[in-house]
Amino acid sequence: MKLSLNWIKDYVKIPDDMDLKQLAFDLTMSTVEVEGAEELARRFDGIVVGEIKEVLPHPNADKLRVCKVDIADGEIHDIVCGGSNLEAGMSVVVACPGAMVRWHGEGEPVEIKNTKLRGVASFGMICASVEVGLADLFPVNDDHEIMDLTSFGIPAGTPLAKALDLDDIILEIDNKSMTNRPDLWGHYGIAREISALYDLPLTQLKPFDAGKVETLPLEIADVERCPRYMGVKMEGLCVKPAPFEMQSRLWRVGQRPINALVDVTNYVMMALGQPTHVFDADNISDHITVRRANEGEKLLLLNDKELSLSNDDLVIADGEGAVALAGVMGGAKDSILPKTEKVILEVANFESTGVRRTALRYDNRTEASSRYEKAVDPERCDLALSMTMELFAELYPEMKVIAFNDVYPNKLVRKEIDVELSWLDRRLGKRIPNEEVSKKLGLMGYDVTFTDTNMHIVVPTWRSTGDVSIKADIMEEVARMYGYENFQPTPIVTSFEGAINQLDVDLVRKIKEYLAIRCGMQEIFTYPWMTDSFVEAILQNTDGILKLATPPAPDESYIRSSLIPNLCKAVVKNERFYNEFAIFEEAQIFKDENYTSPYDEREKLPSQRRNVAGAFAAPSDTVPTLFRKAKGVVENMSRFTHMEGFEFTRDNKPVWADDVVWLNIKLGEEQVGNLALLSKKASLACGIKNLSVVFFELDTDALKPFTSRTNTFTHIAEYPTIEYDVSLLFDVNTKWDEIKATVLKKKNSDSFLRDVDFVDEYKGAQVPDGKKSVTMRLVLGSDEKTLTSNEIEACANTVIKFLVKNLGAEMRTK
Amino acid sequence: MKEKLMQIYADAETRVLEAKTEGQLQEVKASVLGKQGGLTELLKELPKLDPSLRPEMGKAVNEVKNKLTELIETRREEIRLKASEIPADFDYTLPGTQPLSMGGLHPITQMRYDLDDAFRSMGFEIFQEDDITTEYYAFDNLNFPPNHPARESMDTYWIEGHDTGKPEDKLCLRPHLTGGSVRYMQTHKPPYRFVYPGRVYRNETTDARHERAFFQYEALIVDKDFTFTAGKVMIKSILSKVFGRDVPVRMRAGFFPFVEPGFEIDMGCLVCGGKGCSVCKHVGWIEIMPGGTPHPNVLRAAGLDPDEYTGFYVNIGLDRLVMMRYGVDDVRLFHSTDLRFLEQFH
Repeated sequence: MKLSLNWIKDYVKIPDDMDLKQLAFDLTMSTVEVEGAEELARRFDGIVVGEIKEVLPHPNADKLRVCKVDIADGEIHDIVCGGSNLEAGMSVVVACPGAMVRWHGEGEPVEIKNTKLRGVASFGMICASVEVGLADLFPVNDDHEIMDLTSFGIPAGTPLAKALDLDDIILEIDNKSMTNRPDLWGHYGIAREISALYDLPLTQLKPFDAGKVETLPLEIADVERCPRYMGVKMEGLCVKPAPFEMQSRLWRVGQRPINALVDVTNYVMMALGQPTHVFDADNISDHITVRRANEGEKLLLLNDKELSLSNDDLVIADGEGAVALAGVMGGAKDSILPKTEKVILEVANFESTGVRRTALRYDNRTEASSRYEKAVDPERCDLALSMTMELFAELYPEMKVIAFNDVYPNKLVRKEIDVELSWLDRRLGKRIPNEEVSKKLGLMGYDVTFTDTNMHIVVPTWRSTGDVSIKADIMEEVARMYGYENFQPTPIVTSFEGAINQLDVDLVRKIKEYLAIRCGMQEIFTYPWMTDSFVEAILQNTDGILKLATPPAPDESYIRSSLIPNLCKAVVKNERFYNEFAIFEEAQIFKDENYTSPYDEREKLPSQRRNVAGAFAAPSDTVPTLFRKAKGVVENMSRFTHMEGFEFTRDNKPVWADDVVWLNIKLGEEQVGNLALLSKKASLACGIKNLSVVFFELDTDALKPFTSRTNTFTHIAEYPTIEYDVSLLFDVNTKWDEIKATVLKKKNSDSFLRDVDFVDEYKGAQVPDGKKSVTMRLVLGSDEKTLTSNEIEACANTVIKFLVKNLGAEMRTK
Repeated sequence: MKEKLMQIYADAETRVLEAKTEGQLQEVKASVLGKQGGLTELLKELPKLDPSLRPEMGKAVNEVKNKLTELIETRREEIRLKASEIPADFDYTLPGTQPLSMGGLHPITQMRYDLDDAFRSMGFEIFQEDDITTEYYAFDNLNFPPNHPARESMDTYWIEGHDTGKPEDKLCLRPHLTGGSVRYMQTHKPPYRFVYPGRVYRNETTDARHERAFFQYEALIVDKDFTFTAGKVMIKSILSKVFGRDVPVRMRAGFFPFVEPGFEIDMGCLVCGGKGCSVCKHVGWIEIMPGGTPHPNVLRAAGLDPDEYTGFYVNIGLDRLVMMRYGVDDVRLFHSTDLRFLEQFH
């Protein structure tokens, strides 16, 4: 919202030497965020009033003229101009060299320089209103008209800002910072805050006295939605421009002047934050009723929008039907027309949430609706009516009030709050003297009385519509007016009861750090919703998947029951730029099952479990390596993150997995995840072009962190251990697990065998069909001596023979 | 023969002095003193000499041998102590090789963990909660009547088929974290000191500054007689730890539904040091989080007496903090899954 400082000064006498920066700072710290303070006159630097002495033809251009212009600097300047309304004796706006103007009102402001136009030297520029940003105040009939100030009778050479009395400061207030303060949506409200900040008196507005006139027939059918309605019928008005000063003020705060009748309503709204409306009385048949709209009732708005109304909408209606959407916008039927001379003025109060719903329903938020929806207090109608009538009386001396009415069945009750002084002291951390509290609150309109231990507060009406209702609100009022910066920081005092020990929280962090730092995977975040095509490709059906009622896109309504679909989407996205990568995500997954709540037995929350899943993507010819890499990440996770270890089984193939390359991850009896290659079919359906992808997914909520590290110390071997590689042929279907288990059967107290590791496997031309060569590394050693080569050979041979006998292994040398 | 000896010595001496590495020196030694070395060969010829000349010649050869050995050892010491074995043209500007694989935490997670560490060091617990909550905990429990603008302003993602009319059944993706904080308070005994990091969801149009899913970090202290001035100390301590330097903090009037009084909390712009720059829109301060004293309704929802208990609450927008940390100008990048973006923060 824009505010004019001059306008504020109408209501509070701000000293002329007030530092503007300080004012903006103080308002920002204690009331609303001042986003900017602009010296309005700066926009018109170097722009002065000039008098055209003579208009001469341009020697080289038909549409241009050469004007002899006096700007009272002792010279007569030649200025080339294409204006269609140039005349000798005319008072015009001259942008001198150095001034900033907008060419034809478009683009960024540019600096005026001395130039030649078609061969004739020109001093600066004679401006159109749009070029100096004043088109709203000086509208034109054709695009070539320049701004005419002749009627203002201003001497040549006067700076334009001074000539038009534009010496003002425009404050820009962040609207968001006052959504809870309906009282601040006008100059008077901000003036009241300034008065309290600096202990300055606030101008009091007088209520309106209609005198003895007829009662205007008015009826409120829904008192909840319309707590108050004041109407004044008057005659002797007409449509004419408002005085320049009023237009100028409206323009400064971003309102376009229209005509005096409408401008007065806007002026009052900008001054007091109270919307008002004028109806052409001749277009209102019978009397005014404020009622709910009938379902499907038609209303054509001022802005030509035709609405089909809902029963939830409140309308102003006459005998024939709805004439205005209450609190939002007037209708076309009752609007002010050029011939209007009798009007009905509406000063009313409408309930906030109803106005908000209606404005949102028709996507038709207005200055009025945005004020009403903050909950304006009904007492403000009095001030608004008084100010409006004063302005009308000024503008239309002939005006006569015919009828008046004020329907206000339930007077707003001012909130009353008791505050124990000891409580206030404790919460503020210091004692502020009663007199000071009383003075600040008084300036803001509170009535305050003290007893020895208490203060009793009566809240002003304009803060009683929800804004101030509890003692914490009063504490805030006192603290902000005292100045938050004036409170000393206090140390935080605490008692120690024990160290923080959150194993589950720490485990998730350890897993993420393990994956990112030790395994070289990149963490990603995706949305909780999935894209339909990926759901279809990966999960294949939507049973048990929760759905959003209002999804971000039509094909993104399912929320994830697995992290895999979104990881897949990320693979597709990154495949364009990377040939090989590994990514992971840690987030919750949701299922339409197991509804419970540990907090409130009435509550029913679906299954939500924290999962972590990873994707390893690489060119298709590397699947075995890729799978082993992914398996290594899962296998070693427990060791590096200090939790119970996993086992791999093959019980349930995930639907998205390749038929051969898959494993279930188990923790004891419980399946906690999967590790598998994405099937070719799913991969094609996802649109993955070249890469193979191995995924793992793990239910981290099921994992069991150790309470401390479980590493055990063993003595460093006194005698060297020997590594001895053996290559044997096996049937292709023999699995490493079997081989390893068989080898380890020979590990006993008599044997030098300590362990066996996989080195390599080979299938192909060098080995017979149906066979594979497996190279393993035997680890041999003794606690008592260094092994001799005979002992080593003997031990290895025992193992080899055992494998030959039990698994049908053959020596490669055959 | 004597000439040959002198020749061998002269050659060897030159080569020893020219040797730059121990390896080269070893080569010289082998070629002269080794089994097939020049001097060894010469000794083999000694028996062929006239016997009368043999002692003198033998002595001469031994002298040369000793001299050379000494020379080589001296040179070896020189090389060991002073020189590099690497040629001087070694290019130390060649790039280092990358670690075997590159990976990293999301920049939001990094910031979250930085904050976790900071808050833990001040004795805060870390609380985690579910993404899906009920209307009851999101709104009703916090005493926001139906149609309250604060409720409407958080355009919520409701779950289909779970609108029975009862707020305890109506499910949504959490629009804020405060309802979850109430869950914590309901299940723990005061005083409280905890942080609650989490992602929240709003059904809004997205642009460079707005997202449908974004990260909040709620911190809450609840105790008897805690003043907002202590809250300022808390925020200043945390920000200073996270950013690694003294961060000026100011609290100014602000309105947020879960606090009373409420504050907008600004930190001094770290880019310009408060002088004013484009990052802080020339005001020297950056709005970083809302905060304040927990609203009595929030405390009541947690089963506490607001006359007895009070505290301090902040809600840090992680996305914004990370954007400022790195100068990221589009919030949507955080959910983009684009590795070209994410790997910049390793």
